[in-house]
Amino acid sequence: MSASWKQIFFQMLLLLVSCRHINTKTSVPTPAPLPPLPTEVRSGIHNGENQTEKVQLTKPVNLVLECTWTGNQNKLPNVTGHWRKDGVEIEDSLLTVPLENDKYNLKREFRIVSKEDLRNYSCVFGNEAKIDFILAGPQMGEVRDKPIVSYVGDSVVILCKLNETEPRPMSWNWYRANGTDKELIVVDTDSHRYKIKVEKKEKEEKAKLVVHNLTQADSGLYYCEADYGINTTMGHVELKVITLWEPLKPFIAIVVEVIILVAAILLYEKSQSRSKDSAAGDGTSADQTNTLTQGENNGPEESSSMRQRKV
Amino acid sequence: MCHVTRRQIKQQGETLVINFAETIGAAKALSERNMSPAPADELGYKPLDGGWGWMVVVGAHISIGFAYSTPKALSIFFKEIQEELGASYSEIAWISSIMLAAMYAGGPVSSALVNRFGSRPIVILGGLMCWASMVTASFGTSIIYIYFFIGVIGGCGLALNLNASLTIISKYFLAKRPLANGLAMAGSPVFLCFLAPLNQYLLDKFGWRGSLLILGGLMLNCCVAGALMRPVNTPCKPISGATQKMVEEQPNNSITKLKGSCVKNSKKFLDLTFFKDRGFIIYLIGNMMFIFGAYAPIVFLPAYAIDQGVEDYAAAYLLSIMGFVDMFIRPGTGLVANSKWIRPRIQYFFSFAMIFNGTCHLVCPLLKSHALLVAYAVFFGIGFGMVFALIFECLMDLMGNERFPSAVGLVTIIECFPMLLGPPTAGLLVDIYGDYKYLFFMCGSVIVAGGLFLFVMNICNYHMLEKEKTAKDREQHQENQENQENRDQVSISEAAQQGPRLENTETPN
Repeated sequence: MSASWKQIFFQMLLLLVSCRHINTKTSVPTPAPLPPLPTEVRSGIHNGENQTEKVQLTKPVNLVLECTWTGNQNKLPNVTGHWRKDGVEIEDSLLTVPLENDKYNLKREFRIVSKEDLRNYSCVFGNEAKIDFILAGPQMGEVRDKPIVSYVGDSVVILCKLNETEPRPMSWNWYRANGTDKELIVVDTDSHRYKIKVEKKEKEEKAKLVVHNLTQADSGLYYCEADYGINTTMGHVELKVITLWEPLKPFIAIVVEVIILVAAILLYEKSQSRSKDSAAGDGTSADQTNTLTQGENNGPEESSSMRQRKV
Repeated sequence: MCHVTRRQIKQQGETLVINFAETIGAAKALSERNMSPAPADELGYKPLDGGWGWMVVVGAHISIGFAYSTPKALSIFFKEIQEELGASYSEIAWISSIMLAAMYAGGPVSSALVNRFGSRPIVILGGLMCWASMVTASFGTSIIYIYFFIGVIGGCGLALNLNASLTIISKYFLAKRPLANGLAMAGSPVFLCFLAPLNQYLLDKFGWRGSLLILGGLMLNCCVAGALMRPVNTPCKPISGATQKMVEEQPNNSITKLKGSCVKNSKKFLDLTFFKDRGFIIYLIGNMMFIFGAYAPIVFLPAYAIDQGVEDYAAAYLLSIMGFVDMFIRPGTGLVANSKWIRPRIQYFFSFAMIFNGTCHLVCPLLKSHALLVAYAVFFGIGFGMVFALIFECLMDLMGNERFPSAVGLVTIIECFPMLLGPPTAGLLVDIYGDYKYLFFMCGSVIVAGGLFLFVMNICNYHMLEKEKTAKDREQHQENQENQENRDQVSISEAAQQGPRLENTETPN
């Protein structure tokens, strides 16, 4: 028995030592290995006017920006060149650019992985020539601008579409506006209230949020977000939930108006024919109203048919 | 020799002048003494031509307005319904087609009902059917449900409305009938102009379900229109003894009350004897050709305009311009057709209107700029309005009051086919050739051919009718002569029997 206790003690000691060893290992900061990124090259040529290039990116890349300047009147053998991000000079980017083949070349590699990297980058030669590169990620396609109107107890489909040129995003998220915040909508398998569907029909990527069993509290703004890694793009749709009573009000008003008009017209006709009868003296049937809806006409109708028989 | 020649020349000259005058007279008689086979005596009474008749025109205006504009105005809801029910674009477009087809195909049933019960109950029934169809459709959960309720039931309700409204106009008007027809048919563009923005507003406020509910309520106003259509007392033609007995034996049949004190023979469901009438066949063929080419340009005009470089909203405005022009042209055409120069030649005026419409379409592919397309829309509106103002007036003119309800039912059910085939055929042409101009050429040429056909065949028809009429008159004259001879002979023999005294007073014929 003491041998097993010894074994356990020995194992525990080993464990402690190795743990400590692991701790000491992790306490030394080592840079995490960066995932390899594809490389994209964009270039711009300055021919006397400041250029602006738009760069559309769809995923994280190693972006290589090349600038070429044809130079000015005095072709100095060396020019200073530096890079700017959003107009602010990037540290350690100042270089001396030699004249090669009658041109000055600047090249720099940028690692574009997140939204902060999607900015305006500029290369500047001396203080004269500047080429801007405006980086942008994918944008949301057409989203409905008018509010969706739906009824209590009904289900509604809220749709967000991407343009044809944009690729598939990594993920879709839906949010609900809660005051000024956005609250993420989680698909709860129990309540079956929300369902998120993503489909690709006719080259268009669509994301649908289906909300079942609507209540008036569900009215408000809904945000759809497409996550591309380097950036996210958002669209919003407004949902209005109304009770059935809302359209019923004008409906009932119109029905009442119709009944009043029909009754008025038929009463006018009756009074006209009665006055004609009393003027004429004998009972030539003047009106043969055959309305199936107005009960009040059954009486006079029978009397006219009786007159008919007598004649 | 000279004076003989002079006399001969004078004689020849005189005969020439006489012949010339005769020809002119004959031609004039041919052109004047043709149309309107239904003078007041055929109707048996003198139509009101005013008074309460104008209220009836208002009722018909509302009724026809809903009938023609609802299938078009519903298309505003299609996108919403498509998104919610998950249907494809072509599935949704079927709703309008089914509704139009039901409206036209329901013609014969509507005719039979109108003949039996009169216009007022049928329009009220039509209004109730449309109301019920829209209200039930607003609770729809599948596209088939909507096909049935809006398409079939709604379409049938509209068919009842259309037929009955046209019939009541023919009963109230004779001298001012073209004007009344023009005013009533103007309901279609007026209601379309009014319903389209209203539908958009309702859609934004209540969604498509609430909008259908309210639209159903609006269609209940057809019942108001029906209430305005006071039945006309037609004094009877002498009825046969059998039918008179039938009336006496069934005194409790007050529900199936008929106009005046008449018992009309229940018309056959589909009266095929119309096909023996030459005028009817000519009208039918010309009309079918018109309907085949009439609707496709409307459907494809915005797309063509966008193709020519016009902006989206400006292209949509072209149709509004056309509708707006149409609104004023229809009563205007009615007024013109009512004038004493045109009224006798109304069938020729109708064919002229068709040829004008067709020519507009033929010219359209040459028009590339926005301003020219606006001009095209204006002329299209003029041509379209003219034809539609006259389309039923001409049928009334041909058929007369008695046969018009059945005739119009037959015409609408036969017109169903070119109406449904026209736009898809035109669309097929666009798909095959990739160019809109062939569509306009096809539609324009078919309509122009229809107009020319009507014009030429009507001349022949009236010529033949004249010949038949003179032949009949001659026979009638001969018969009268024979009868007169017989009567005189009888009286002579009577006189001979009575004695010699009377011989002197009788003059043999």
